Amino acid sequence: MAAAADSSGDGGTSSGEKTIVLVSSDNSARFEVREAAALLSQTVRRMIDEAGADASGDGITLPDVDAKTLAKVLEYCNKHAPASSSSSAAEAAPPAEGEEDLERFDREFVRVDMGTLYSLVTAASYLKIEGLLNLTCQTIADMIKGKTPEQIRKTLGITSEFTPEEEDEVRRENAWAF
Amino acid sequence: MSLKNIVRELKEMRDGIGSMSRRGGSGSDGRAGHGRSGSRHSWPSLWAEQQQQQRQGQEGPQHQHQHQGRWANLPPELLLDVIQRVESSEATWPARRQVVACAAVCRSWREVTKEVVKTLEECGRITFPISLKQPGPRELPVQCFVRRERATSTYLLYLGLSPSMNVENDKLLLAARKVRRATRTSFVISLVSDDFSHSSSTYVGKLKPNFLGTKFTIFDSQHPPDAVVLPNNKPSKRQSKQVSPRLPLGNYNVATVTYELTVLRNRGPRRMQCTMHSIPAECIQEGGKAPTPTGTIQSLDEPVSTSPSTKGKKVAVEFSSTSLSADLSGPACSNETPLVLKNKAPRWHEQLQCWCLNFRGRVTVASVKNFQLVASVDPSLNIPAAEQEKVILQFGKIGKDIFTMDYRYPLSAFQAFAICLTSFDTKPACE
Repeated sequence: MAAAADSSGDGGTSSGEKTIVLVSSDNSARFEVREAAALLSQTVRRMIDEAGADASGDGITLPDVDAKTLAKVLEYCNKHAPASSSSSAAEAAPPAEGEEDLERFDREFVRVDMGTLYSLVTAASYLKIEGLLNLTCQTIADMIKGKTPEQIRKTLGITSEFTPEEEDEVRRENAWAF
Repeated sequence: MSLKNIVRELKEMRDGIGSMSRRGGSGSDGRAGHGRSGSRHSWPSLWAEQQQQQRQGQEGPQHQHQHQGRWANLPPELLLDVIQRVESSEATWPARRQVVACAAVCRSWREVTKEVVKTLEECGRITFPISLKQPGPRELPVQCFVRRERATSTYLLYLGLSPSMNVENDKLLLAARKVRRATRTSFVISLVSDDFSHSSSTYVGKLKPNFLGTKFTIFDSQHPPDAVVLPNNKPSKRQSKQVSPRLPLGNYNVATVTYELTVLRNRGPRRMQCTMHSIPAECIQEGGKAPTPTGTIQSLDEPVSTSPSTKGKKVAVEFSSTSLSADLSGPACSNETPLVLKNKAPRWHEQLQCWCLNFRGRVTVASVKNFQLVASVDPSLNIPAAEQEKVILQFGKIGKDIFTMDYRYPLSAFQAFAICLTSFDTKPACE
């Protein structure tokens, strides 16, 4: 668990870089992260813009993201955050790490169970973190490839719930396609 | 409300409300019972339902067992993103079957997949069986080949330039079998190569010659959709997908193919003419649109008979009787000016002493069966010359029992295949 935020206004790292405190949905965890990392989330960025300086003081609560998921998401953000701390440059500056290193990180990052993957993709969508959203959606797409409908259902825990007529259609299509 | 509209609305709502939870509160329910899997529920009311669940404190920690139900509730915009990725990367067969697999997972996946997949004309890719009844792309033709199996009088249409080394990789599109009856033969066309029964759900249509073998009628088991002809405007996106009329399966006369000898009789090529009753001539004008069925092939939309054992199949049997009188032998659509296709006249090559057509390498063996069809249009329709020159269907031999078939807009694979089959059946009167 990250250290509690400095309650006297904007927090800061030892190097003096601006930090932001993000709080998980159940209020159980507070994370202090570099501003550049937090701003990878368009949702956080907008919350700060709209709420003003106050938001950073008490920490920004994210009602849709639990502690475990938020920790994982911030792991991504910290890795992918640009080197520069100034918010205007956050979009333009490249990440601090090298390209290959990031790719390796991403590959390992998504080696998680289906429950975590679900939490990650929905969190990425809610937080509007483009890179993470692309990564998780692509992971799911790649997971689907090569699977039959039954295998897809099994992996994702989905039941088909087709009517008998729909079943007939589906069977006919699959007989033709496979 | 189309799914795309739902997705857009959902995004707007989420942006507006900001930090409201989107995820289903009661994740322990594994069934897709929240209504996300069908588009029948209106999304705004579903949203309110979830907000209530939030307030009741149902949102709990992410237990492992709860993930079983969660994927069924994957937000539609994320499902759309994922399926779009699959669709765009699995472009060619056999990999494209993955898209069909996505449409078979559950209702919401089916809906999203059908929304993502464009018509053949729009994307140039054959995906579902219905693609076989949709017009081909306007510019680049769809390239196929036909294999004739003499032993069983079967003709198999595959997607691809020519047979590949590994027959597993060849995508079978349609199959036809010559069926001999008391008075004459006919061709039955099916989605699979091992079932040519009229009452089967894989039955697609048939081809019947007249007694002399000079005229053929093509029957489609589904009634073609009405044409949307807009010669003066660009067709709007909304009109690009038409729902097939909800008519029972039967045998609908969609085209007539006739053969004639020229004055040279057996020493010259035949003259072919195809009258496409279901395609209006105007559809090859700028901005014109040929009928494009969507939905599913063979969809039994009518409420079916009361007999529990035969269910939907009973309807098909009643209509597609093998006796001649049951066929709806008049043209299926009241079409003022049906599109007429004629074969391009070959040129006599003095040096080679043979009749020649430029098949652009796709036909390599001389045969009376080889042909190219172009549109034959009335000057009043103002079709540009370049359009009139376009070869809409090309068929020809490349080896023993192997033929290539290239077709494009406004013909569909089914129509093209049926026309090519006539080439196999012309009688001595024509040869």
